[in-house]
Amino acid sequence: MLSYIFRRIIIAFFLLIGIGIVSFIIIKLPPGDFATRYQAYLLAQGATGDSALHAAQLLRQQYGLDQPIPVQFFSWVKGIVTEGKFGFSMAYRKDVGELIAERLPKTLFLALLCHFISTVLGVGLGIFVAPRKYGFWDNFWAILSFIFTSIPRFSIAIIIMYIVVIDLKGHSINSFFSPEYVIAPWTWGRIVDMFAHIWPVLIIAGLGGVARNLRVMRGNLLDVLGSQYVQTARSKGLRESLVILRHAVPNALHTIVAYQGTVLPYMMQGELEAAIVLGLPTMGPLFYESLVNSDIYISGSLLLMYGALILMGNLLADLFLAVLDPRIRYS
Amino acid sequence: MSNETTKLSATSNIMIIEQEQNESYFQLVWRRFRRSRASIVGGLMVLILMVLAVFADFFSPTSISQIDLQSTFIPPQIVHFIDHDGKFHLFPFVYNYIYTLDPKTFKVYWQEDTSKAYPIKFFISGASYKLLGIVPGNLHLYGVDKPGTIYILGTDKMGRDLWGKSCEAGRISLSMSLFGAIISIVVGSVLGVASGYYGGTIDNILQRFTEFVAAFPNLPLWMALAALVPKTADSFTVFVAMACIFALLSWTTLAREVRGKVLSLRETDFILAAKEMGASDARIIFRHLYPNTLSHVIVILTLTIPGVILAESFLSFLGIGITEPLISWGLLMRNTQDIQTLGQNAWILAPIGFIIAAVLGFNFLGDGLRDAADPYAAM
Repeated sequence: MLSYIFRRIIIAFFLLIGIGIVSFIIIKLPPGDFATRYQAYLLAQGATGDSALHAAQLLRQQYGLDQPIPVQFFSWVKGIVTEGKFGFSMAYRKDVGELIAERLPKTLFLALLCHFISTVLGVGLGIFVAPRKYGFWDNFWAILSFIFTSIPRFSIAIIIMYIVVIDLKGHSINSFFSPEYVIAPWTWGRIVDMFAHIWPVLIIAGLGGVARNLRVMRGNLLDVLGSQYVQTARSKGLRESLVILRHAVPNALHTIVAYQGTVLPYMMQGELEAAIVLGLPTMGPLFYESLVNSDIYISGSLLLMYGALILMGNLLADLFLAVLDPRIRYS
Repeated sequence: MSNETTKLSATSNIMIIEQEQNESYFQLVWRRFRRSRASIVGGLMVLILMVLAVFADFFSPTSISQIDLQSTFIPPQIVHFIDHDGKFHLFPFVYNYIYTLDPKTFKVYWQEDTSKAYPIKFFISGASYKLLGIVPGNLHLYGVDKPGTIYILGTDKMGRDLWGKSCEAGRISLSMSLFGAIISIVVGSVLGVASGYYGGTIDNILQRFTEFVAAFPNLPLWMALAALVPKTADSFTVFVAMACIFALLSWTTLAREVRGKVLSLRETDFILAAKEMGASDARIIFRHLYPNTLSHVIVILTLTIPGVILAESFLSFLGIGITEPLISWGLLMRNTQDIQTLGQNAWILAPIGFIIAAVLGFNFLGDGLRDAADPYAAM
């Protein structure tokens, strides 16, 4: 067991290094180094030629851009690990680490909330429809979940934005709080206000997840319900609800746990898509902005963050499953 | 005794006849596929979208390359049967829109000009075009006489007919997703077969590599790579580059499935027999192994396409995917990003319908094919 956990962590560590290398390649791929682009950026902003050149030189020294690529990669990783420095952002004129520290908690909060809601709802609905196989509600949710996974998420975001802003003449939804609550301490009113702002993201990212969890849970539960020990439980004369909830559901839950590893990326991507369209200040819009402005250190660092988060989610799902299900082979 | 022999020969005759009536694999697949209504509908949806895309010139009442800055943001024209005076017409017609400007707010109001009705004519000649770039023609499915216009989905910022444009956009959206999916199928098949057939170290390395690629967050990496495609590149390069970017991360599922299939087939009698007869690896792989995985490959191909369509439309919508002069469904929706424009011209959301139809169609089709691909399994 311990060696299994240890091995999983080692593999995850190597995958993380791989993701870091790819992110770094993304940073290095555009022609010219970052300093020349910063110089051009300053010139475009109206700086004099001398000062721009000077600033570029300073940057080149500070970040060691004149060194060979492997050395640069090593110092980039070292900066991240030891000082939390991810590189310099042109548009924000500060280190990307600060931007990430500002936005990462919000992103994580949203993604995890979506994840939680979609898991609870999806599993619940799966338990609800499985005993009603091919009945009205089963078909109803089957069709609905097909539609949820087929509509482009960005277009749901547009439609929700349209309804809120144009039809309801609502407040802007591109922030977490109304102005009066931004610096207020946590109260019940503040929580309500926050949900009034973030519900579109929860719906957009969550619905697809609900649909996926529902399909998986339904399939598992149907498999389990066909097994002999369930038949035994029934023939003992147990109530059907007890048979399902006490005997069938716990054995159908394992696959859901294993499946969370693939749901988390889906949530992160849903959050990314929705936040970009709605302009919610999480990592998503920052990522998009940096791609458009080719503010390349942000793009690379955020790519690394997304990769790392998903990797962590997968690792946790694996470890949790190993603890939960002793039948897992540790090889 | 003789009676018995005739009986015996009769039964054997029947057996032979029965054997001749055995259905082929594709007949069985077709029979099972036909049974599921959803997949037939899905297949039809995909087919219709393809026909609309290929013959967009014919289905559009105006020339699809037309840009008319006089007719920007015209709302969808309603097809009438009953005219302004309440009289019923057997043939449908449209009214032209005339616009009035609010002198204070400069807001544009469109109103139907009910003084003259333009009956819709079918198969009329209009703007000339070249079908598939070769066959010249000027026939259009429907249209109205000048100066009437017919924009059933309205027009966009450039005064282009959204219906005709959406049909045309299907060319890029569908062909790119198909192209991207095919590349990913080729990569996935090669790696999957190599991994499953040779096993050992090769298998180990390839499996770790597949795991590594699968661990990547798809959407962020697609976005980052698409943003790296230079803005100045020509259309063809952009098309190929985007297709390759989508293929880059989509092959992992297929590689795993093909590997599993090849692994299970590798030890079967007919493969061992082929080996005993001295068949080369290439012959075994291409003649015996790969054809047996093909049905699964086709299913995954159909299920990969909708993912690519969704990703492509999102990227183009953000302006980091396909760029003009190419046109795709996502790109057509680019103006909806501006909430002001969208608020006044809600109909520019129309291309969503095409995206949803395509994604649903491929999903339904893939689902039906998955059940049909293994016709020997019990339902």
